[in-house]
Amino acid sequence: MSTHNVTVVERPRRNLWVQSYLPEVAKGLAITSRQFFKNLLTGSDIQTVQYPEVKRDYPLRYRGLHRLTYRDDGQVRCVACMCCSTICPANCIHITAAEHEDTSIEKYPAEFVIDELRCIVCGLCVEACPCDAIRMDSGIHAHPFYERDKAFLNKDYLLDLGGPSTAVQGGVLGSRSAR
Amino acid sequence: MPTLTINGKEITVDPGTTVLRAAAMLGIDIPHFCYHPALSVPANCRMCLVEIEKARKLEPSCYAKVGEGMVVHTESPKVIAARRAVLEFILVNHPVDCPICDQAGECKLQDYYVAYDSQPSRVAVPKVGKAKAYPIGPRVVFDGERCILCTRCVRFCDEITGTSELTVAERGDHSEIRTFPGKELDNPYSMNVTDICPVGALTTRDFRFKCRVWLMSSTDSICTGCAKGCNVHLEHFQGEAQRYRPRFNPEVNEYWMCDAGRMSYLELHADRLPSLRVLEDSELSWPRAARKVAALLGEKATGEGVAFVASAQSSCEGLMAGREFVRTMLDDAPVFWTGRPDGDGDAFLIRADKNPNRAGLAGIFGVEVLAQDAHRLLQELERGAIRVLYMMDSTLPFTSDEMKRFRAAVEKLELFVLQAPRRGGLDDLADVLLPSTTHAEQDGSFVNEDGLLQSFWAAYRPRTQALADWEVFVRLARGADRELSFSDFESLHGALHAEQGAAQDAGE
Amino acid sequence: MDLVWELLIILLKIVVVVLLFAFPIGSLMTLLGDRKQSSLIQNRIGPNRARLPGINHPLVGIPHFLADGLKMIFKEDIIPRQANRFWHTLAPAISLFPAIALWAVIPFSDHYCTGTATMVDYRDVCVDGAFYNLFSISNLEAGLLYVFAISAVSVYGAAIAGWASNSKFSLLGGLRSSAQMISYEVTMGLSLAGILIIYGTLNLNEMVVVQGQLLWDWLPMWGIVVQPLAFFLFLAAMMAETKRAPFDVPEGESEIVAGYFTEFSSMKFAVIQLSEYVATVFVGSLVSTVFLGGWQVPWLYGDGFYFGNTDEPSIPLPYWLVIVLRVGSFSIKTLFILWLQFMLRWTLPRFRYDQIMTLGWKILLPLSLANLVITAFVVLVLL
Ligand code: SF4
Ligand code: SF4
Ligand code: SF4
Ligand code: SF4
Ligand code: FES
Repeated sequence: MSTHNVTVVERPRRNLWVQSYLPEVAKGLAITSRQFFKNLLTGSDIQTVQYPEVKRDYPLRYRGLHRLTYRDDGQVRCVACMCCSTICPANCIHITAAEHEDTSIEKYPAEFVIDELRCIVCGLCVEACPCDAIRMDSGIHAHPFYERDKAFLNKDYLLDLGGPSTAVQGGVLGSRSAR
Repeated sequence: MPTLTINGKEITVDPGTTVLRAAAMLGIDIPHFCYHPALSVPANCRMCLVEIEKARKLEPSCYAKVGEGMVVHTESPKVIAARRAVLEFILVNHPVDCPICDQAGECKLQDYYVAYDSQPSRVAVPKVGKAKAYPIGPRVVFDGERCILCTRCVRFCDEITGTSELTVAERGDHSEIRTFPGKELDNPYSMNVTDICPVGALTTRDFRFKCRVWLMSSTDSICTGCAKGCNVHLEHFQGEAQRYRPRFNPEVNEYWMCDAGRMSYLELHADRLPSLRVLEDSELSWPRAARKVAALLGEKATGEGVAFVASAQSSCEGLMAGREFVRTMLDDAPVFWTGRPDGDGDAFLIRADKNPNRAGLAGIFGVEVLAQDAHRLLQELERGAIRVLYMMDSTLPFTSDEMKRFRAAVEKLELFVLQAPRRGGLDDLADVLLPSTTHAEQDGSFVNEDGLLQSFWAAYRPRTQALADWEVFVRLARGADRELSFSDFESLHGALHAEQGAAQDAGE
Repeated sequence: MDLVWELLIILLKIVVVVLLFAFPIGSLMTLLGDRKQSSLIQNRIGPNRARLPGINHPLVGIPHFLADGLKMIFKEDIIPRQANRFWHTLAPAISLFPAIALWAVIPFSDHYCTGTATMVDYRDVCVDGAFYNLFSISNLEAGLLYVFAISAVSVYGAAIAGWASNSKFSLLGGLRSSAQMISYEVTMGLSLAGILIIYGTLNLNEMVVVQGQLLWDWLPMWGIVVQPLAFFLFLAAMMAETKRAPFDVPEGESEIVAGYFTEFSSMKFAVIQLSEYVATVFVGSLVSTVFLGGWQVPWLYGDGFYFGNTDEPSIPLPYWLVIVLRVGSFSIKTLFILWLQFMLRWTLPRFRYDQIMTLGWKILLPLSLANLVITAFVVLVLL
């Protein structure tokens, strides 16, 4: 057994005092009652946030609605490489790739739809994107939708949420050589 | 017979074998770009360098011939370092377009980079720009920046097709694959260069941006473009064929296939029959439809004036089942055949007979049936000798004029049953429509022009109600409470093999 | 005429006790005890969103409870296919009946004295008049036996509800609850036997009166003082009887859904729930009657507080105030026991079923037997 890192935990010994149950119940009652009266009188330990009226600040890395970043000239940065739709465990990214008139771009997403109803907000698409084209830092809480169609966020919607990417096209070395 | 040692394993091979091949026989994979088993060996990429003891320097294994007592190391530190250096060198001007490159996922440069290099670029000077997305031929797109100048494509055009459209122009890091002035890469086999190109420099216009290769599944299949029966990988995604890629078969097509055949996958989803229809009733399940059709056939398809049309597009299994169907259900009606009309052929792969299974048809229904072609059928129809017609396919070798006559004649029929994967412009005339599967949706086999029986496998399920031809026949027979001599694919396939084997033995 | 008058008074008492005391407290507890109290223990707020029309205040969540009631009424009443429709429909009534009927013998205050009330020997005596039973529905001599009898009947409700639903979960729940209730009835009875020996009466009001006596002239002789062990035994047994946590195995989301009332919906479901809560309140009132001096306020007798063995009240009080204090005392004690039960519910993890049986038969029963024997012995020696 020496090869296994096993810690043997002794069973707690129960003396008559513990086993008579009542003192332990009293201890438990003391804890719950303390909490009860504390919260009844001061409410100081209550963790509830009165959601629609009070909102917590989302943490910096909160994963909100997706957004698509754009290039310096305002074109969509995504090149329809399908990395995100491949990694997506919910299979909710639907991209139709097409040839761009601008030969320096070549491939771009003619359609880019995220099915928010299926998205499990795992963030893998962001990790997978080689182009910093998709992000989840819009800070917008995915809200409920009254119509199913509205939950299919299309390219225009996602671009409207977007901003220019902070990444440098061509990578760091590429930028150095460009200068 | 020299004996050599590779990575500590001994092997004896024929003299003149290259080290790379000898290693391959031992199951040792040596990375390579420019070497292709069907092409000459230029040894220009240097990816295949190996360490041979007593040699002064690393040797390209694709070119080095084996020698007696040779000791080769393919994974020694020196070799690994050399591979890394070669890769870094190749990547100096490589654009690393992977996100938009159709080769990504099946790119040897990617694979080897991950396996041997995996370091960030140390080059801080601008890369040499070259032609991007250049239409080097009507069906092939060229990207000069991605090209690693292995010259496989050049050699293919020189040695396989003999058309010599391509060459390497310029020098040094400005070298680029170009067509000779006034030429473009337009030969009947031009798309093969996209298969042999180890990177994404040559890609097909058709597959461009269509689907990422890692998403697709691949099923072994047979091209139905002509009677050669080239072996292909049928690659599909979500129940839809995306492309054909030639599958190596030394007896048929080696590594190649023609462009027309490659594009024939487009027919797999075109013009399909949507659903069952018996007279006006189109909301049917197969068992109900089978009973109705069997009743119709029992009522009308007896005595004179019944004809059955077999198809050279159908699988052998379908045809065999059809033969039995004619015997049990159609009173041994006369059999005609149909298929695509003949076209041009050449001496390499392309055959004039554009049907994948005419040989199989002749083997199953007898050679005599070949005389009973669609034109004979048209004559008989116009003569009024046929009341009831059962067609196994809607492919007809007719000109538009003949088609008009055919339609006119068919309209007068008492009963016209069409069992086909495609509408073929006949669905509106048919009294009974029985959708059948294409070869991509069923298991089966074709006999090619050279008499070779080749199997193919179902790649995905049909989206319609379609069933394989043989299954349609089985169901119709059941609808009439009759049994054919088989009820599953295995027994049918076994019977086919027995029959074909016997026929081949008799022929020899 | 007298009889009619008598009947009217009884009717009034029933209405007051059942409709104004048992039901409201019972159902309020569903809200305050189960939801609000638990939420506070768990650092939450609890229900606070529903509003009464025109009042923009959560009112400690009471509108939720009204909304729930309304919702229950309008929910579809589903009787499972193959269920026994007759018993399935009757079961909720059968479980509600004992929960209500039990209240018949609970004294809310001492009998009303038509003359002047004063104290002799730590007992109220009525000078120039007679005691008249105004504060319990029925002044039954065999009051405690009545309680035992009726609470034994309540097992039928659960058992029938479980059986009639044609559901395995329900049947298992019904079986569990009948086994549990029958087991704990034994302890329940035996733990009170000791107290019977001491008080020498079965009449609940009489019991409370006896508890007004003082030990050593200062300590009220409440049940909990003379029979502390029996208090705990009886409380545990009663909680098991009413299937309150930690004895709530007849229902169990993880094993048998809601137990015997899995297949009940709409108002039938509500009635079963309600009967449980009313029974819970009853436990509170019974425990306070038997062990906490019922309506007794320490040292308070018919005409005021007596501190020490005096003849005149130390603090004289008008009779009506004494009655108010007594009813209030009873109510507060009841509510305290109720609060304690809910507290226990959120404090203790629930027992496993075999543990419940072990506790009932192997621990509580021997303890209550021992308690009885020792009490009997002590009483024999002392008196
Ligand atoms: S967050 Fe996850 S589930 Fe949602 S789109 Fe991205 S990869 Fe898919
Ligand atoms: S991974 Fe990025 S670049 Fe690729 S398709 Fe998704 S968003 Fe576009
Ligand atoms: S050729 Fe290979 S390495 Fe180059 S861009 Fe295409 S996939 Fe990437
Ligand atoms: S285009 Fe492809 S096959 Fe031709 S030389 Fe370049 S890398 Fe080799
Ligand atoms: S494969 Fe040997 S040098 Fe290219």
